[in-house]
Amino acid sequence: MIRLLRFSAVVGFFLLSFGSMGETLLAMPLVQRMTLSNQMVLLTSEERSLPFVTLQLLIDAGSRRDSVGEEGAAYLTAKGLLLGTAKRGEKAINEELDFMGASLNSSPGRDYATLNLRVLKKDLEKGLDLFLEVLTQPTFPQEEVKREVQKTLAAIQAAEDQPEDVAEKAFKENLFLSGPYRHPIEGTKKSLPLITRETLDRLYKKYYHPNHSILAVVGDITREEVKTKLVPRFEKWPKGKTSDAPVQNVFAKGPKTVKIDRMLTQASIILGHAGVSRENPDYYALTVMNYILGGGGFSSRLMEEVRNKRGLAYSVYSFFEPGKLPGSFQVGLQTKNVSAREAISLAREEMKRIQKEPVSEKEIEGARRYLIGSFPMRMDTQGKLVNFLLQVEYYGLGWDYPGKYSRLIQSVTREEVLRVARKYLQPENCILVVVANQKMADIE
Amino acid sequence: MLISGWKKRGRRKAGIFLFVFFLLSASLAEAGLQERVFETTLSNGLKVILLENPKAPLITFHIWYRVGSRNEEWGKTGLSHVLEHMMFKGTKKYGPEDYSRIIQENGGETNAFTSRDYTGYFATLRSDRVQVVMDLEADRMPNLNLRQEDFVTERMVVMEERRQRTEDDPQSFLMEQLEATAFQVQPYHWPIIGWMEDLMRITLEDLKRHYQTYYSPANSFLVAVGDFKKGEMLSRIEKTFGSIPPGTAQKQEKPQDPPQTGERRISLRKEAQLPFLVMGYRVPNLHHPDAYVLEVISAILSGGKSSRLYQKLVLEKELVLEADAENSLLSKDPALFYVYATPLPGKPVGEVEKALEEEIERLQKEPVDKRELEKVKNQLESSFIYSQDSLFFQAMLLARYEIAQSWKVIDQYLPLIQRVTPEDIQRVARQYLIPDNRTAGTLIPLPPKPGQEPPVGSSGRDRITR
Repeated sequence: MIRLLRFSAVVGFFLLSFGSMGETLLAMPLVQRMTLSNQMVLLTSEERSLPFVTLQLLIDAGSRRDSVGEEGAAYLTAKGLLLGTAKRGEKAINEELDFMGASLNSSPGRDYATLNLRVLKKDLEKGLDLFLEVLTQPTFPQEEVKREVQKTLAAIQAAEDQPEDVAEKAFKENLFLSGPYRHPIEGTKKSLPLITRETLDRLYKKYYHPNHSILAVVGDITREEVKTKLVPRFEKWPKGKTSDAPVQNVFAKGPKTVKIDRMLTQASIILGHAGVSRENPDYYALTVMNYILGGGGFSSRLMEEVRNKRGLAYSVYSFFEPGKLPGSFQVGLQTKNVSAREAISLAREEMKRIQKEPVSEKEIEGARRYLIGSFPMRMDTQGKLVNFLLQVEYYGLGWDYPGKYSRLIQSVTREEVLRVARKYLQPENCILVVVANQKMADIE
Repeated sequence: MLISGWKKRGRRKAGIFLFVFFLLSASLAEAGLQERVFETTLSNGLKVILLENPKAPLITFHIWYRVGSRNEEWGKTGLSHVLEHMMFKGTKKYGPEDYSRIIQENGGETNAFTSRDYTGYFATLRSDRVQVVMDLEADRMPNLNLRQEDFVTERMVVMEERRQRTEDDPQSFLMEQLEATAFQVQPYHWPIIGWMEDLMRITLEDLKRHYQTYYSPANSFLVAVGDFKKGEMLSRIEKTFGSIPPGTAQKQEKPQDPPQTGERRISLRKEAQLPFLVMGYRVPNLHHPDAYVLEVISAILSGGKSSRLYQKLVLEKELVLEADAENSLLSKDPALFYVYATPLPGKPVGEVEKALEEEIERLQKEPVDKRELEKVKNQLESSFIYSQDSLFFQAMLLARYEIAQSWKVIDQYLPLIQRVTPEDIQRVARQYLIPDNRTAGTLIPLPPKPGQEPPVGSSGRDRITR
């Protein structure tokens, strides 16, 4: 039985809520949205069962902002926030955070970067001050930046021991001929040594502005505290100039096979091609289609054919990675070297089968029921909730999204699944990456 | 801890899967859990542990069996984990993989895991759907249908899992070797996933026997956390599980290693980019008060970016990419206190090891100052509060304590941490964190080379002292 989740306005100075009505009341967090005088969007949701607060700021400065030759700059800029401020060195920042038992992390992504603070209620003001200090007064000290570059280079080298990581990087490099999603978020061996504190400072000044940012605050914080403690602090952050030059990804046309030879017992395989952006209207039909194909864990066709029936893999899956711009579609799996060919051909067959005939009524109903039924689990902790809120705002999903989502998924038909499978899957034009002992894998 | 395959999307954290629940062990406890948790035992011996938490309209429902790799035997290692996989292959009533499909169709998430000490199954789903998982679990506890053809296929899956987790991951491979060296008598000697050769030796008969021995009310317990009323939940549980035959509680005492009387050293030469260094010191578990002092020591060494290892080795000396320390508080048998580090490219392993040792020696020589100790206690306390945000973590916490000793001792955690003094830290560091009491392992990277297949299942077993 599908619930009707209805959007409803709440009395208050800001209007939004995830209201919910249905046969029984499904508790959805109440959310307030406001725009500050410097145009920063602020989303808050009060939940006071535990005495702590989680704040997450989204800054529209992911790795897609990196200039050619400066790959990794956005990553290091986000990391660099915590390396020192006008008032405090790195050591003092770390010391103060740990003494409060708080955590403050910056996490640089592809579309955007985030700065996340988790702090006990009793230390909220101190935590807020530190948060704003690293956000608005970072100094990117030279020595620390150099060390961060070295660490990142070492991490890139260490990742060479992770076959799945090696495959992923090779896949992206070959799928994107050019464009902002081509390079790894953390940069490359070639680009990183050229990055200096000046590079970070430049990127920071260009993109770290309140009018490029969204703040989500959840947990033990009242509306009054938001008004008196948060708003005045964040409104001091001066507005900057927006600069959003449109850039596009250019995709390679398959088929193409990339083989990387390693002393491994298992082949790590990625088979894929161009995908879609988050705003593509077919997103929901694709979500249902992909769930049936390879997104639905043990219920997916890929899992059934490759793992359950034949025991060829421990993990096999497919996914789209839609962003502001179209990302990739990938089927991924790991299998012993000698099974690589069989597994690849099975994966390709499944892509073709979902294009050939409509999925069964049972499959589509299972997909709908999982996608709609598991929705509340996307926001059942403070950490998940801040992420969810930021994405709704950033990708413009609309504040009736929780209600709309179930309708959108429910309305996907078998014919729609067939249509999007035919439109977006290209089993014969894939980029195929195989990291394996090539002698054993024997790929054509 | 082996998590049997949910859609695993690449990007494994480098290293050590046994430590998935580190955070928890550093964050467990709260005054007053005793009052909030309800425990009872059904007439067939099934223990039930319930914690109401209405913060979201969800329930996480766990059933844990008191069986893990420690309950296995030489030559048949990995049996508990293979059985965990087989639990999804159906009963008289349900077909293979129906379990996951039904949970997912009800909007739920489900998985299972095997450790040295336990095998756990869980589903998290909307509160009004909890009967669905209860029916499935009550059915497969006594009625599993173990078929040869499913077993042969699933064993291949587990072998792929072993390749993915261990064979092709040099750090995991070293950890496996280290444990096989540190433990010679007790069953922690072998890996949870089992040696590759043993996986081949396991038979359907072995699985049936293991299942009949351990999968019964007398060897399991239920944990539910979430949005329910305990009265109603309990009557559902009684109705659903009450008629399962009790079975026989199995003896859980296992032989222990005698005290270690000298350092053991191993090295592993394998294709890898960077070296990896690990030291495992034999330490007591939560049955001994010193285990709590080791919790504090672990936080001093590696809790946050102001911790000693990060501050000294990562920031000041710029020797390592990462360094960490970890205690084994909740291990059923006494296990190891780990200190490990990944040197930065070009940094001599010897120098890194020396730097790690200096930090250990500092704990022995200098009393920890008051503010640093206070900081560490603050961290342990706050991380307990944060961990309560997740229903799943709360259930894990209760169940892990129940396996190790009893969920009731969770309430002792913070008070025992608060009691730790600078003198305790020095004493415990001097007693346990000494070379004679440790096994040290080094990964010596060989340059990556293409080409030949390494010998099948080269788990290095021939190197192990039996």
